[in-house]
Amino acid sequence: MARDGTRLTGVPAEPRWRQPALAALRGASALALPLLILAAWQWAGGERGVLLGGALPTPLRVWEAWQAWAFGPVGMGLNAYSGTWLGAVLFSAGRVAQGFLLAVALAVPLGILIGWSRGAAALVDPTIQMLRPIPITAWLPFSIAIFGIRDFGAIFLIALGVFYPVVVNATQGAREVERNWIRAALMLGSGRMKILLHVVLPAALPAIFTGMRIGLGVGWTAVIVSEMVAVKSGLGYVLWDAYYVGRMDVVLADMATIGVLGLLTDRAILLLAGRLLRWRALAAHGGGR
Amino acid sequence: MIDFHGVTKRYGPVQALDGIDLRIEEAEFVALLGPSGCGKSTLLNLLAGFEAPSEGGIGFAGAAIGRPGPDRAVVFQDAALLPWLSVQDNVTFGPRMRGDAPAGYAARTAELLGLVGLQGFEDALPSQLSGGMRQRVGLARALVMQPRALLMDEPFGALDAQTRLAMQQLLLDVWQTLRTTVLFVTHDIDEAILLADRVCVMTARPGRILRDIPIDLPRPRSLALLTQPGFVAYKADIMQALHPGR
Repeated sequence: MARDGTRLTGVPAEPRWRQPALAALRGASALALPLLILAAWQWAGGERGVLLGGALPTPLRVWEAWQAWAFGPVGMGLNAYSGTWLGAVLFSAGRVAQGFLLAVALAVPLGILIGWSRGAAALVDPTIQMLRPIPITAWLPFSIAIFGIRDFGAIFLIALGVFYPVVVNATQGAREVERNWIRAALMLGSGRMKILLHVVLPAALPAIFTGMRIGLGVGWTAVIVSEMVAVKSGLGYVLWDAYYVGRMDVVLADMATIGVLGLLTDRAILLLAGRLLRWRALAAHGGGR
Repeated sequence: MIDFHGVTKRYGPVQALDGIDLRIEEAEFVALLGPSGCGKSTLLNLLAGFEAPSEGGIGFAGAAIGRPGPDRAVVFQDAALLPWLSVQDNVTFGPRMRGDAPAGYAARTAELLGLVGLQGFEDALPSQLSGGMRQRVGLARALVMQPRALLMDEPFGALDAQTRLAMQQLLLDVWQTLRTTVLFVTHDIDEAILLADRVCVMTARPGRILRDIPIDLPRPRSLALLTQPGFVAYKADIMQALHPGR
């Protein structure tokens, strides 16, 4: 053991026995308001199960519609949506995944380069900053004209939406790398590429994850918008289609589905960040210093 | 071994260093002592190759210095460890970046971690270590490159007094074993006399070398030296140089 006040890992805070109890309490208080709203909504719907002259079905009606949509028999029948839920989810999630990965693969190296090199910044950054204020929804006609009513039109829009927050955050992350980390790598004989890969990229990773979380939200927006207009499948298509035929129960079940998927994918990124950025969590707990 | 000749450094209108001439021999331990803002860290950064002098030149092992490199390994004041790497991975970062085979540095790494008292902490992250232990990692990371000179920029300046004493003793022991050429920047008079063969006292703005004092105290040294008459005499001399008339 070293002589000078050694300590290994510090995650003290709450006594252990209190942690589950506190978590349960926090969970209960988080659910209280949504449950209250749902109960009031259900009650207001009364016997007929609809509000506002039939425009707004009650939560139980929505729940039943979702069950039929998810688990009903596919094919002939009065309910065109029966059994198609998983397919719609896979179409939309698949597009988001493709667009997201494409954007991250482009935006991370580009952002690191812009943050690292003044030359790259002068060359590329102004173009990005000029294009960025154009909302992705405004790109929709362009996307249809270029890529047609095909999958790639949606993927292009999603990728564009994910690209901006990731590139901007990666740039910022690469700019804020501690100077002495770079100097340390230099004096240890590392070349430029090695420093980018082994110092700048890991140092920028927390910022990149911030960008990816924002980007993912934009990606879900983009997939719904493009499926409503340009592509004939997925949750966005069902959303618009169900509205046209007056199936508001399906519309609401669809909205809820999108919300849950957005939440789950965000959690997945957080989980990955927790794994990769363990060093940062430890530093935040004030170990040492 | 190290030869500053007529080195001047300006940052815009501010003159940080003015005509520095300084020679350091092989295996010599030289302390640069001065008040904050006297340019002593700048002098070290120039030798490391992090910055270029405005005028003059710096020779190292018979050639002009170039880019930063492992022949002039640096120990930073804040350790500057990569926080996402374990102690082991921080120490082996240089050899790994150079593409050395693990067999080529594994034994040396283990030996150095033992020398600086870090065995058993190989898998810890920097944030799990105390300030003193982080500096030990910084020292091991520099020494694993087998540098011709070790440049230390106030490495113990941010540590508490007890830890600083322990680290000074550790450095004396390590130096006794390795005998690397050292340029050690500090504002602590005791530290400079205790560690160095020569203390170069600097003045502030523009930075100049005011006195170059050989420290003729026997080695191997230990903290016991701090209270001996020979040590105190050097201290009186240097305090007089830094604060004349007081």
